[in-house]
Amino acid sequence: MAHSSPVPELYKSIIEDVIEGVRELFAEEGVEEQVLKDLKQLWETKVTQSRATEGFFKHSHCSPRFSLQLPHSSHSVLQTSAASYVIQAGRGFQHFTAAKLGPPRVGVTLALPSCVAYPLQMPAGVMLQPAPGQLYKVNVPVVVTQASGDGSILHYPVQQMFHPLGQASVLQASVASVTQLNASAAHAAGETLQPQETALQQAVLYKPSYVEKQHVENSATLVQQPSVSVQEYEINAVLNQCSESTEKFQHDNLHTAVFTPECSEGLFIDESLASSSSGVLLDVEGQLDMEHPELLQQQVSDDIIDLIIAGERLDENTFLKDQGSVASSDKVEPAEQAESSLPLEKDLCSDIEGISQLDGTGDVSSKEQIPHTKDKEENEFIGFIDSEDLRVLDDEEDYDEECDSSSNIESSGSDGDNEDLQIDIVEEDPLNSGDDVSEQDIADLFDTDNVIVCQYEKIHRTKNKWKFYLKDGVMSIEGKDHVFAKATGDAEW
Amino acid sequence: MDADSDVALDILITNVVCVFRTRCHLNLRKIALEGANVIYKRDVGKVLMKLRKPRITATIWSSGKVICTGATSEEEAKFGARRLARSLQKLGFQVIFTDFKVVNVLAVCNMPFEIRLPEFTKNNRSHASYEPELHPAVCYRIKSLRATLQIFSTGSITVTGPNVKAVASAVEQIYPFVFESRK
Repeated sequence: MAHSSPVPELYKSIIEDVIEGVRELFAEEGVEEQVLKDLKQLWETKVTQSRATEGFFKHSHCSPRFSLQLPHSSHSVLQTSAASYVIQAGRGFQHFTAAKLGPPRVGVTLALPSCVAYPLQMPAGVMLQPAPGQLYKVNVPVVVTQASGDGSILHYPVQQMFHPLGQASVLQASVASVTQLNASAAHAAGETLQPQETALQQAVLYKPSYVEKQHVENSATLVQQPSVSVQEYEINAVLNQCSESTEKFQHDNLHTAVFTPECSEGLFIDESLASSSSGVLLDVEGQLDMEHPELLQQQVSDDIIDLIIAGERLDENTFLKDQGSVASSDKVEPAEQAESSLPLEKDLCSDIEGISQLDGTGDVSSKEQIPHTKDKEENEFIGFIDSEDLRVLDDEEDYDEECDSSSNIESSGSDGDNEDLQIDIVEEDPLNSGDDVSEQDIADLFDTDNVIVCQYEKIHRTKNKWKFYLKDGVMSIEGKDHVFAKATGDAEW
Repeated sequence: MDADSDVALDILITNVVCVFRTRCHLNLRKIALEGANVIYKRDVGKVLMKLRKPRITATIWSSGKVICTGATSEEEAKFGARRLARSLQKLGFQVIFTDFKVVNVLAVCNMPFEIRLPEFTKNNRSHASYEPELHPAVCYRIKSLRATLQIFSTGSITVTGPNVKAVASAVEQIYPFVFESRK
């Protein structure tokens, strides 16, 4: 079975997660729901416009939500349901396809158009085959009821399968899924917080289904894939019961999962806000570190605010996060990220530049190696202060070197001989500003537009031969986006 | 029978190591973030910056000391060091190019004949040390020049010294002794 590119689905899922995650915050802040909708619309527009991915479809905000209710039945092929579906398809939903699956998966994956306006009765584990030959595999038995209004998409773990088939609609289901649904329905009735792992797994697999090219208006398509576990069915059941709260809860879970410490930068080319979903850029295949979900939850709101507000500081945040995530423990990461995202060095530098300090950290005597603990920021300040001080102290000779007639040279800026022991003539030529000593003749010779943003497993160098072992990344090659779980590379410098 | 004092041998300088100071504290992190062609070794507190033009690698410490390796001549070493200081200056540090010093020169020289090492060692016990089980070359030190030569039985000699001159004179000095013990 050929899979279409996972990128559009991934992006969609990211957008959904982010929007849902901030919905609460927006409400708290008193920002209108319309703003959120506009944001989402804008985001999707940008992604589509950037043409970084194909087959990306905007979700319509005003389309009715959809939940599919499947009566629990055994394996059967429901022609009637299929017929009803076909009818719906005839309404213009021709992308709605299904195909026979060899091994019937557990559960039902269902894709529904937003324009479908009536509840559909389908047996559990129903698979639909749309006319034009695209397959949506229904893996999880879903209860679909038409929910009113609001643009909250039901999030399900999703596996979309596009398969060009011209078969008639065939619905197949697995009993196990039905059974599980029953169990999970009961289990999840209390809307207890599901195990984080589950939520995370779901989050990883979550991709809201989306309509094919022609149908932009689809927001309620649900493509689910319960390849993971029972909890997915729980979600379904929970959703059935109380859509809003459930969804929100789910979204929290998902969002929690989204912001796993592996905050590789989620760079959607046009969207700096997408940085908030950086954590979602886990590899689509399901690699996921779920180490500190509690931290994640705390981190979620922090990150959302930070990242959305500080959209333009994306790169720095990401870099810092990467450093943090790579170097330090998980506990330290959120702290570092929270800290480092806000106090940006650039801003601090500009503040400090007005200060001139003559002693203490401003002392320009040569120091030994400064211990590089976590006092990086302190060291940075020192560096900036020093550079400023040197300008100010141009005429002052504060240096206590072992050899020092160099101070004369510095102040005068002219040549002078440094009388070090056993040194050949050292001419203190001032470094010509861009005159002879041409620096960076190859300045930005590879300032290409092809970018890869990912995490690294190992970077190795021998002489000038580099080897890269990367993971969990997104690439923008010639304007097109690709995602990968693992990547290796060789390069020569 | 002895070799001429003027040896027409090709001495290939393979490496020149030099140091200089920037006279200002360097923020390694800033260099690592903004510099081009840098490797940040946070664990040891160094930044490596590689240059292409004179192909050199510089090790930079936060104290402002910089060690520059990989040049093939003293002039090139100085040139490269200045370029390096230049690029540091461009990053925003008040760099002053001071204390430039070539600390080590590594050269290779090939004798047109092979050498009998045990014999050579016997004749030059004062300066030569030979442990064939440890290393296949004779280590000959010239104290006056502060140069060390490694003499291989193939006739290839590796010389390290504080500067190019010392290296050249070391080769000249050793030539007669080596010539004695040739095969």
